[in-house]
Amino acid sequence: MAQEQSALELEYAIPPRQRFNPLKWARREPFGAFGFALIVFIVFMSAAAPVLRTAPPNEFAVGPPLAGPNTENWFGTTARGKDVWSRVLFAGRISLKIGVATVLLGTLGGTLIALLSAYAGGAIDFAVGRVADMFIAIPGLLLALVLHSSISADLPDLPGLQNEELYLVVAISLFFMPGTYRIMRGIVLELRESTYVEAAQVVGSSSFRIMWRHIAPNMFGLMIVITSISLPAAILAEASLSFLGLGVPIGGLDAVPSWGADLSGSSRRFFSVAPWLAVFPGLALAITVFGFNIFGDSLRDTLDPRLRGRI
Amino acid sequence: MTRYIVRRLIAVPFMLLGISFVLFMLLYIRPGSAAFAAIGSVGDADPRAFEKFEERFGLNRPWWEQYGDWLWGALQGDLGERLTPPHDDVMGDIIEVLPNTLEIGLLTIFISAVIGISVGVVSAVRRNSILDYAFRGITIMGISIPNFWFEILVIYLPALWWGWTPARQWVVFTDDPIYNLSLAVWPAVTLALASAAGMARFVRTSMLEVLFSDYVRTARAKGLRDRSVIWGHVFRNSLIPVITLVGLQLGAVLGGVVIAEQLFTVPGLGRLSLEGVTDQDYPVVLGTIMVFSFVFVLVTLLVDILYTVIDPRIRY
Repeated sequence: MAQEQSALELEYAIPPRQRFNPLKWARREPFGAFGFALIVFIVFMSAAAPVLRTAPPNEFAVGPPLAGPNTENWFGTTARGKDVWSRVLFAGRISLKIGVATVLLGTLGGTLIALLSAYAGGAIDFAVGRVADMFIAIPGLLLALVLHSSISADLPDLPGLQNEELYLVVAISLFFMPGTYRIMRGIVLELRESTYVEAAQVVGSSSFRIMWRHIAPNMFGLMIVITSISLPAAILAEASLSFLGLGVPIGGLDAVPSWGADLSGSSRRFFSVAPWLAVFPGLALAITVFGFNIFGDSLRDTLDPRLRGRI
Repeated sequence: MTRYIVRRLIAVPFMLLGISFVLFMLLYIRPGSAAFAAIGSVGDADPRAFEKFEERFGLNRPWWEQYGDWLWGALQGDLGERLTPPHDDVMGDIIEVLPNTLEIGLLTIFISAVIGISVGVVSAVRRNSILDYAFRGITIMGISIPNFWFEILVIYLPALWWGWTPARQWVVFTDDPIYNLSLAVWPAVTLALASAAGMARFVRTSMLEVLFSDYVRTARAKGLRDRSVIWGHVFRNSLIPVITLVGLQLGAVLGGVVIAEQLFTVPGLGRLSLEGVTDQDYPVVLGTIMVFSFVFVLVTLLVDILYTVIDPRIRY
């Protein structure tokens, strides 16, 4: 009898909750750990840019114009003698800032819309779904083009986000929102029919409570995954738009350096004589995106292996 | 299945109607700037000149009249005139450059499918080999390298090393097909880098999923040769999700074309679009982006239909 009971207990025993062990994870996902190290490195370099810089990023003639990499100007200088190393350092800030703001707005917005509309169901769900279809049918970069000629000049300056930066955030997050919405909607529909939501309804919980306490927590893991996958794409999008001249303003003393903008327009004339102008900003951008990509990949495999190859 | 296709076909016009409405309203928010951009660049900003300009292009009418007018024209294949002189017909301009963009787009998808699928298959069949690790490393770099940076390197580094650079004086396909292809291949190859890498990763996971399925074990158990198991059972079944990816990647490719055309100076739809944005010539922006979306919607529809044909298990 005693034996039987212990067998039963064994069968129903809930396995002890495993604490997340970063070292163990790093051993299992070496690529992910490397990506994380890269991210930490890039965040550190951007944060410490004012200390690590060798010259103010917008200062003219800190060295001879178009000087190659040397001991004075590590990454060389631009046609106007700006220091490329300092510019590359400072440009990391705008990339990270726009990337994080975009992904937060896109993921949170998409998730919230999915939660509300899918839970409401019926006509609301249908209408929101069709609007999402429409936004998905306009290729992202082109939607950003339209938004640039329509809303960009009317956007306000928010504290910490200037008008042009706000435009980038809105344009890029509008690109992520419908995709996030689509994935999340499926999850909400599935959860809405689950037994425990039904139980909560029977007990008389309000819709708000059910959404907040019972459904939303189950979307959290997926949200992290979507965030980690969208972030490198958002950073690339910022660089692409800045490259096309639709991002942060180029030139001027208070202009923000951006990897994409430094690869564009006026500096392109000098690439064939001063390749360091083309190589370093692009390399910094590629390393950043690479770090986020491999980290995001491992994170997805850890948190939700079902999504492998799906997003 | 027929019902599904019919339903999807009926949805297409509504979808395009919705897109055109959203785009129109977005661009309508700033109607005054169009006149300012067009006249301001010509001479001093005389208020009477503004009025005359708005009168000429009907910009002083309420939005529903303008939209209705535009829509009615669009249905007949007329997308209005450009606001910037010499006031070309937008549709004419689009038709002139559209083949170049489609050529690059198709070439890109083709290259990316060929490379992506072969690399993905080899990676999956020889999983955890050195080759697989090398491919996985290369593909993840491929999706991380910004396309426009790669294009810049392709244009400027060979110039620096060997004094050679991809030619950038565009020639239309009908004038000199071979020379035209030798031009189009550069933007296509550079654009295909990221999508081929994404494709390879997707094919690999998709193949691996099938490789460990029961029916593949059965096929092996009944003594089929490795080659026929892989091509007959694994490859064919793992291709189904890959087709969806081709459709999804098209959006990114169409966006990438805008940048590639700019860098390789291809007279295409993307450059026309960007021109419209810088000139604040919104009939051009509206027209070009409608055409982009139209292509995208049609291809997505085709992919979905193809999906049901290839995989009879899928019933909508």
